[in-house]
Amino acid sequence: MLAFSLLGAAPAHAMHISEGILPFPWALAWFLVLVPFLALGIRRLNALAREDLSMKPLVGLLTAVVFIISCMPIPVPTAGTCSHPCGTGVSAILVGPLVSVIIAAVSLLIQALFLAHGGLSTLGANTLSMGVVGSFAGWFTFRALRRVGGSLAVAGFIAGLVADWATYATTSLLLALGIRGESPLWPLFAKVVLAFLPTQLPLGILEGVITAGMVTLLYRKRPDLLLKMRVITEKEVPGNA
Amino acid sequence: MHHHFNAYRHHAAHPLASVDARVKLVSALALLVMVLSSQGIAFPLVVAASGLALCLQLGTPVRILVLRFSEPLFIALMVLALKTFFSGSVPLFSAGVAGWELVAHRDGLSAGLLIAGRILGGVSLLAVVGFSTPFTELMAALSWLKVPQVLVDVALFAWRYLFLLLEDAQVVYNAQKNRLGYVGCRRALSSLGTLAGVLVIKAFDNSQSITTAMVQRGYDGAMPASVHRPLRAVEVGSALLFVSAMALFRFV
Repeated sequence: MLAFSLLGAAPAHAMHISEGILPFPWALAWFLVLVPFLALGIRRLNALAREDLSMKPLVGLLTAVVFIISCMPIPVPTAGTCSHPCGTGVSAILVGPLVSVIIAAVSLLIQALFLAHGGLSTLGANTLSMGVVGSFAGWFTFRALRRVGGSLAVAGFIAGLVADWATYATTSLLLALGIRGESPLWPLFAKVVLAFLPTQLPLGILEGVITAGMVTLLYRKRPDLLLKMRVITEKEVPGNA
Repeated sequence: MHHHFNAYRHHAAHPLASVDARVKLVSALALLVMVLSSQGIAFPLVVAASGLALCLQLGTPVRILVLRFSEPLFIALMVLALKTFFSGSVPLFSAGVAGWELVAHRDGLSAGLLIAGRILGGVSLLAVVGFSTPFTELMAALSWLKVPQVLVDVALFAWRYLFLLLEDAQVVYNAQKNRLGYVGCRRALSSLGTLAGVLVIKAFDNSQSITTAMVQRGYDGAMPASVHRPLRAVEVGSALLFVSAMALFRFV
């Protein structure tokens, strides 16, 4: 059974890269890699906000939703610990991958400052894996599946799954690069992936289910929102077919 | 989760809470760079011990500290195990685990301890800043540090409505639970998806009503700029002295 005890949450032993784990040059390097994505995200959000004043509050509220989703502690008995979904697949589908980078960055900043999930020095690396790779992987998968005729539920499920697994594969790579020292990279990367595999395999499926559930609920209850965010076309709105 | 965010309330009377957030943030960032670039374990451990002592002196309940440090500790232990058993070349001891022979390496253990020390040092620094500073002041400090305003705006919106959404999530979750929504894996997964969907709908609806209310009060897309009081010389001087003393310890 899934345990969801959000408000009395025990800490989720997530796979955000913890504060202090990356040596300074690596931490700085990932910030620099992130900068162009963040700049494009800011430009995109500013452009959207000029057209529609409700965009900034909406992105702020979606950030809160992603924060809540990524704080859902899911027990993973095989690893003897808990983990959590990422939520960036959801945000990428709704507002696009560039704005989703901002959502991930802000959500991770709040988590770093108040929950010690991730950290300030690792904000660049974590945003790169969760915000950039997770968002783009989820968004491309969703769009590609929709283009070849996949249903909202199937496209949402696979997009959430791919976003989650892509995030954790990237996190493993960044972690292995940061801690390897003189050791060869790929064997260490494989060990990091193996260590977190019992947690992340089921979590990817869970993330897929959450994403599919969210998209189908919106389609049934509020197709106008999906239309506004250009997730579906006018023809796909129930009653318009 | 609320106790993490409310921890600041316990510390509002502590002298550290009245220090300008900009001074605390810049000092913490300077110390963080020193911790991350440290090649010995002593400096990160001293920072970690000082940070923990400060958190306790701030009056942070031990339970919250344990919660705050449990995830970084878990990751530190994972990294320590990985480095000890899977890197290095000087054997220290070997142990048989489920038919496998694992060899611990002295140099791997040293490298692992250094990383674990940096993790604890870094997390302690953030804990001190987080426990002694309200969120809005931290955002104002980030704005002063030239973090793009749109990021600060989004963070402020997220912070303002996070607790409302948390309460909504709790209400929906309780309703689902009372209707046996979490009995059985299939039904639980479906309930979780519905919960996420409901939160997104609430986020959309709230954003519309917030915008309407804000536009009526003159909102044109830009949040009012943060107002900073002048930096106090005594605060800046004390921070400079403290960071310099730590730098002396770190580099000499």
